[in-house]
Amino acid sequence: MTVRPEDWEILGLEPEADIGQVRRAYRHRRTLYEPAALATYNLLDDEEREGMVDRIEEAYRRILGTDPPAAPQPSPAGNPAVATDVVIGDAPDPISEPGAHLRFHRTAKGVTLHEIAVETKIGVTILEQIENEEFEALPAPAFVRGHVHQYARELKMADAHDFAKFYLTKMQGGGSEVDE
Amino acid sequence: MTENFSEGRTTVPRIWAVGGGKGGVGKSVIATNIAASIARGDQSVALVDADLGGANLHTLLGVPSPKVNLADFISKKVSSLGEVMTPTPIENVWLVSGAKALVEMANPNFGQKSKILRHLRSLDVDHVVLDLGAGTSFNVLDFFLAARKGVLVVVPEPTSIENAYHFLKAAFFRKLKRAEPRAQVKAAIKEVMNGSGRSKVKTPKDLISQVWSVDPDVGAALVAEASSFRPGLIVNRVDQPSHERLGEDIVSACRDYFGIRIQFLGSLPNDKLVVRSVVEQKPAAEHFAQIPFVSAIRDVVGNLTYARPRTS
Repeated sequence: MTVRPEDWEILGLEPEADIGQVRRAYRHRRTLYEPAALATYNLLDDEEREGMVDRIEEAYRRILGTDPPAAPQPSPAGNPAVATDVVIGDAPDPISEPGAHLRFHRTAKGVTLHEIAVETKIGVTILEQIENEEFEALPAPAFVRGHVHQYARELKMADAHDFAKFYLTKMQGGGSEVDE
Repeated sequence: MTENFSEGRTTVPRIWAVGGGKGGVGKSVIATNIAASIARGDQSVALVDADLGGANLHTLLGVPSPKVNLADFISKKVSSLGEVMTPTPIENVWLVSGAKALVEMANPNFGQKSKILRHLRSLDVDHVVLDLGAGTSFNVLDFFLAARKGVLVVVPEPTSIENAYHFLKAAFFRKLKRAEPRAQVKAAIKEVMNGSGRSKVKTPKDLISQVWSVDPDVGAALVAEASSFRPGLIVNRVDQPSHERLGEDIVSACRDYFGIRIQFLGSLPNDKLVVRSVVEQKPAAEHFAQIPFVSAIRDVVGNLTYARPRTS
């Protein structure tokens, strides 16, 4: 399978884009054309949407010369993302270890902090501090809640909103325990 | 163009049209604040209430309904649009009111629209901000397309996004209809849709590329129309981090689907003081200059008015 010039076009990339850019562009467009995506709400009918997703998949496969990884693909039946997680092990508890929980989901998807930073526009340092639960170094709780929520959503965690609350609870409660 | 410009003015005003999509997303408030924000940069602005049949910019500005309005111009009670311009409490902002325009005025015919545009271009101001109504009437579409830039306003709600795409589709195809020569364009599109290329057409962008393969001349004409269609986009009432990306995502989707380049002008935060400014009839950009909404409006105006220099 050879790469055609339009494959780069379809992913909105320059032909010299690196592998990280290709993966991000692919994931971004998969999210953009999910049936419930707000940004494309009723822009395409079902057939057009399927056509769009097919051509994104094909462009991605041609550029990589391979099949797309299973993890970032939402699959209604037999969720392969969950299966991948199980192979790696159980996720750390989101309430007692929210930072490790995030890192677990991120590594399970094979995504780097840098890639998350590009997608969410949150700095790598802050993302690192969030994962390491360096509460002292982090900005005000209101910002952290937004960041954690955004990060969790980027990882497609279904309970991103609740998760951000767990994180804040530990950040605020846990922080005072350390002080004492 | 051989217009009779007012003395000393050598350039035509830049026309910005805010409109389309859904009602209630904040078009009038945004148009008013864009005008006020431009005026604070010491440039003169005519704010035109082109929402014929539903005009109320005078109320947002806190002035009584002006005695002369756009309807008087359309019905030839006054001979020039300049006579309809009335001062407002904001320095450098003049209002062309559409108030009390009769319902039959809501759909000016082709000749009336051309006349309005001709007069708008000869107004003695630096900028014209048109507040168009909601919906996809030819009236709204034509002013949107005639402006230097049409600005579409959405809010992060499915109904608003849906209406925005409905509007963009209508505007896009109305723009493509201008491609010449008409008969050849029609024939080429027919050939694609009746031929084997049809299966490859999933989006308007595909249609253009298939037309290109059956008739390169028509293809080039369509591409020229499509690439000169560059509306601006404002996302209003943003109050969640997840909405921050909505503007850029819509830009990506339009690029994929229509093959057009939308200019994302900025997100405006949901701000209670904006509601208060409407209730108190004091434009936020004039009376609440420090609030985030107003600084976001300033950024929008910066993006809107900053363009590759174009001499006269």
